[in-house]
Amino acid sequence: MSQFWKAWEKRKASLRAAVLDQHANKSMESVPDTILSSSLEENIALLEKQLGKSDDLVVRRFTVKNGTEAAILFIDGMVDRNVVSEYIIRFMTSTSVTYEKTAVNELESTDRLRQTIRNILSGNAVLVLEGQNKVFLNNTRGWERRGVEEPKTESVVRGPRDGFAETLCVNSALIRSRLKDPNLRLKHFVVGQRTQTDIYVTYIEGIAHPPIVQEICRRIEHINIDAILESGYIEQMIQDSRWSPFPQIQNTERPDKVVANLLEGKVAILVDGTPFALVAPAVFSQFYQSPEDYYERFYIATFIRMIRGASMIIALLLPSLYIAFSSFHPEMIPSRLVIAMAAGRSTVPFPSVMEALIMEVAIEILREASVRLPGPIGPTIGIVGALVVGEAAVSAGLVSPVMVIIVALTTIGSFATPSYSAAIAIRMLRFPLMLLAGMFGLYGIMLFIIIILVHLSSLKSFGVPYMTPVSPINLAAMRDMVIRMPFKWLKRRPTMFHPQDEIRKEGRQ
Amino acid sequence: MGQLGKDPQHNTFSLWQMTSIITSTLIGVGILTLPRTTTEKMLEAGWLAPILGSIFAFFVIWLIAVLSRRFPGLTFIQYSPIVWGGHEHSRLGFWLSLPWILIFIGVLFVSTAITSRIFGEVVVTAVLQDTPLEVIIVSMFVLAVFLCLHELDTLARVNEILFPLILFPVLFIAFASFQKAEWNNILPLIRVPLKTAIMGSFETSYSFHGYEIMLIFFAFAHGDTGKVKAGFYGIGISVFVYTLIVLAGIVVFGYEELQKVTWPTLELVKTTQVPGLILERLESAFLAVWVAAVFTTVANGYYALIYSLRQLLKKGMLFQRIASIVLVIPLFFVAIRPQNIVEIFNVTTFLGYTTVWISVVSPLIHWLIMLYRDRGRRTEKRSDAHG
Repeated sequence: MSQFWKAWEKRKASLRAAVLDQHANKSMESVPDTILSSSLEENIALLEKQLGKSDDLVVRRFTVKNGTEAAILFIDGMVDRNVVSEYIIRFMTSTSVTYEKTAVNELESTDRLRQTIRNILSGNAVLVLEGQNKVFLNNTRGWERRGVEEPKTESVVRGPRDGFAETLCVNSALIRSRLKDPNLRLKHFVVGQRTQTDIYVTYIEGIAHPPIVQEICRRIEHINIDAILESGYIEQMIQDSRWSPFPQIQNTERPDKVVANLLEGKVAILVDGTPFALVAPAVFSQFYQSPEDYYERFYIATFIRMIRGASMIIALLLPSLYIAFSSFHPEMIPSRLVIAMAAGRSTVPFPSVMEALIMEVAIEILREASVRLPGPIGPTIGIVGALVVGEAAVSAGLVSPVMVIIVALTTIGSFATPSYSAAIAIRMLRFPLMLLAGMFGLYGIMLFIIIILVHLSSLKSFGVPYMTPVSPINLAAMRDMVIRMPFKWLKRRPTMFHPQDEIRKEGRQ
Repeated sequence: MGQLGKDPQHNTFSLWQMTSIITSTLIGVGILTLPRTTTEKMLEAGWLAPILGSIFAFFVIWLIAVLSRRFPGLTFIQYSPIVWGGHEHSRLGFWLSLPWILIFIGVLFVSTAITSRIFGEVVVTAVLQDTPLEVIIVSMFVLAVFLCLHELDTLARVNEILFPLILFPVLFIAFASFQKAEWNNILPLIRVPLKTAIMGSFETSYSFHGYEIMLIFFAFAHGDTGKVKAGFYGIGISVFVYTLIVLAGIVVFGYEELQKVTWPTLELVKTTQVPGLILERLESAFLAVWVAAVFTTVANGYYALIYSLRQLLKKGMLFQRIASIVLVIPLFFVAIRPQNIVEIFNVTTFLGYTTVWISVVSPLIHWLIMLYRDRGRRTEKRSDAHG
């Protein structure tokens, strides 16, 4: 039985590999990795042929002062034209220095066709000279990009205002500028056969656990996909359990958060073309933490973390508790309250499960609508939906007033989560909970909570159990989970990520 | 998953995890009837019964831990053939050990079924009157199967995470009900003759059954040092909880009244009132939270059962998943077999009785044979050295 299974899996894998090989042939691997010739015309013809005579390929011919014929090739729009004309062409036509010394920083030379093509496509200007069997690659990248701005998804009251941008080197520089540690390592990978996306795996050598770094690198190397358009692709390709609703890798727009995580011994993955960096391994509790917790004094941080915990429980449980109490256990509600609730519900034609489901679905639609609409109209939808429709539904007797309060609290509770991906998992799990509460009352709620807990306990993120430090229990790491202890007691890094250098700081303060 | 999953630090149970496995397996449905069963013979001194009865459990868990220490990393299923046949006669060892293993598996099977049945009865009588009993039983089995689909280290972490959820409500109920305590109810302290006291305590030791799953789970301990300690902590915590609940039952109701209620602990919850709390009549909430306690009892037992089968037949994870789903069907029929509550209580009494004997006799015999073998080997070695 199991052998059959294995054979089947193997066959499936080989078929998949064959399909991917076919795709790979059409991409960068289709460029023959030949050595360039020493003739200028031949080289230009070869490059033009490989790029299919694309119309945005600019070939600019000129003569160097000492009489050598030359040409420069680049893709229109991807290079800084000023640099190309001022510092390469004018420089070379007016001075008779050796070719290697153009006034552009990052000058390399290669005699390989494939690397040349790659450089042209990533925005470098390629200098081809008559009589040289190699070309010179000038870093002239300079297309229009969004600059460093305040992160939109993770705002803080107190803390740095800069967020990652879409350019990889800007993002790595934002990390470097915060962490002047010579042990910071950036490992470069290229993923995606067609997009050829650049990726940095970032970690601090001497803190990060080497097996975790190796495992992350191994999984990135095994990614077999033609396009990486956002770090979410990477996240889904390397996460441990693809069936889980919970995020097992954290994404963030904030450089300070990435640096803090690097210092805990985690690994960050920066992807070109997206402001969202990935942080792995991740545990459940860190999705409920914000960098601000460390910038404020510890009382405030602890209080805010407790509020977030409470809001998570509200977002998950409140509607189902309402269903359970109102339809199964009315005896548990104090009599005055139950009378008030019954009066509100007297005109409602639906059972409370249907009432809650309709309202929760409506609020999800409103939320999605206000996210998609352009800036100025978004809040209007919120006001129209929440106030006008809610008020009208209550006065029409379709929904009870208590239900409106509960739906509002649930939604606000789910927005109090610092991480969007964790909040969406909780919001999704609310619906099966409501159905079970409608079937079995409190008993049904507990059944589903146990299922969630078993699932959470079974999850692992790169070998780190997802529910640490709660289970397996880790008292040292618990100092920085719900409660944020003063820095005096946070002398050691959390041991669950197996940091090599456990001591954060020495001596007494 | 590669090398990370094979890290021994990840896949073994810590002291705390083993403690929570033992305690959460022990605390299950037994506690709902405990105040009645203990006071039946011991009268006012019923609260002494868990303490005296636990001596037995302590002895057995020590025996199990010693056996497991002798064969580190091996479960009962693996080391029993070695004990019986030695390393040289593995076939003989297998056949000699088979009855013990089958009895072990059978007891786990029946007790898992009956536990979920009792819980179903409680839920149906107390909270969900309109829901069929079968639905509750099946829903409990679904949870157990869901756990069995996962690896062994998940079981340890689940127990660890549910442990406070099990402990907190019982302690809360016990302490909250002390407000209405009539402390004269426990006087006179000792009235029953010694023989009755011993008989009563012995019967209480039924409520400690469940620790025999450690015949399997002790094999996955971090090191050898923690096993005895974990066993003692685990049973110690349960003794504390049991004593507290029985004491609360006696001081609130008095032993005569306790004899007349089916679920005394549930009655205790009904009398509990917490000033300032929004909710009244806590028994539904208590039973809902109690799902966690029953789940750990049922699921740990079922996991141990499936895992034993898997090791006995030397199969892998896929077998465990399929077997856990298939075996639910006979389990369900065993669970609904007793006709009424009286029959269920007869079965539990019988089951408690057999479990106590089996869980003592089986490790004891294994231990004695092992001692004999070790001595034989030692003399052999000595004669080798002389010769």
